[in-house]
Amino acid sequence: MVENSPAPLPERAIYGFALFLGSWFGFILYLIWAYIPETWLFSLGLTYWPQKYWAVALPVYLLVAVGIGYILLFGINMMSTAPLNSTHTITDNFAKKQQQKKFQEEAIPALRDIPISEVNRMFFLPEKGICNSR
Amino acid sequence: MAEQRRFLSAAGVPIALRRRQHSASCRELAVRGPRLQLRSLSAVTSAVWLAAYGLFALSENSMVLSAAIFITLIGLIIYLHFVKIDQESLLVIGSLGIQVTSSYASGKESTTFIEMAQVKDVVINEAIHMQKVIYYLCILLQDPEDPQGVSEVVPLFQSSKPRLDCLIEVYKSCQEILEQRKTVPQSNEIK
Repeated sequence: MVENSPAPLPERAIYGFALFLGSWFGFILYLIWAYIPETWLFSLGLTYWPQKYWAVALPVYLLVAVGIGYILLFGINMMSTAPLNSTHTITDNFAKKQQQKKFQEEAIPALRDIPISEVNRMFFLPEKGICNSR
Repeated sequence: MAEQRRFLSAAGVPIALRRRQHSASCRELAVRGPRLQLRSLSAVTSAVWLAAYGLFALSENSMVLSAAIFITLIGLIIYLHFVKIDQESLLVIGSLGIQVTSSYASGKESTTFIEMAQVKDVVINEAIHMQKVIYYLCILLQDPEDPQGVSEVVPLFQSSKPRLDCLIEVYKSCQEILEQRKTVPQSNEIK
């Protein structure tokens, strides 16, 4: 795609309408399969259907999966949070490999990751001030 | 000289910080949590015994009652010996190292000593812990290869979890001692 904007385009309208028709067709087919007795469908010549058990089982499976998905996502989030004793709470690969740019007079200092000892001194030892930061 | 101040933990439980200065380069900071309360002990015991009595009324099996008594006793012993930490203390000796002690309610004490050459700094870090962001004090251990790097983080006061005001007091006390090692050259390294 040349443009990356979410604006409406003719192709998107066609995809949307095709999806709309497809989903209505799928829904009507599901209702026919679930409600019409097998003998009537056989008499029409349509014999190769899955068992009607699945007409009830699949929605139940889907809803239980959605419910478990909430709990699973919560659990995955908790598991991937760094524990309190890991160095990932202090630094990471980008901060370890950062280059020190030279200090220029009258210029704004370059953006860098400040080590946690310096940050702590600035926050919690107010009598030090900022006199020893470069 | 010793002084004691009251603070709150991250959960709102009252804790006490006791600071003792043994000498110019040696300080001990102890955080003491509340003791086991009689009302919570009796509440848990009554709940367990009521549940056991309900099960006994349903099943007419008297072993349920004896099992409940055993469970209560053994659970209390395990809780006092392995879970309930009464006091956590930090002993900072300027030229030697840092010693961290946890005292359990049953009298058990567990101690860790970190020598001063391994200690890079003692900082207050903030991290996500159980759907909350908490401040906690930790010791940064020096990486032997990289002078700027941190090899390990040792969190302190894990069970009493003091809030930021208490942590700032402990941080200032530790930094006063740790700064002395920059001015005094280290002459006790084993070459």
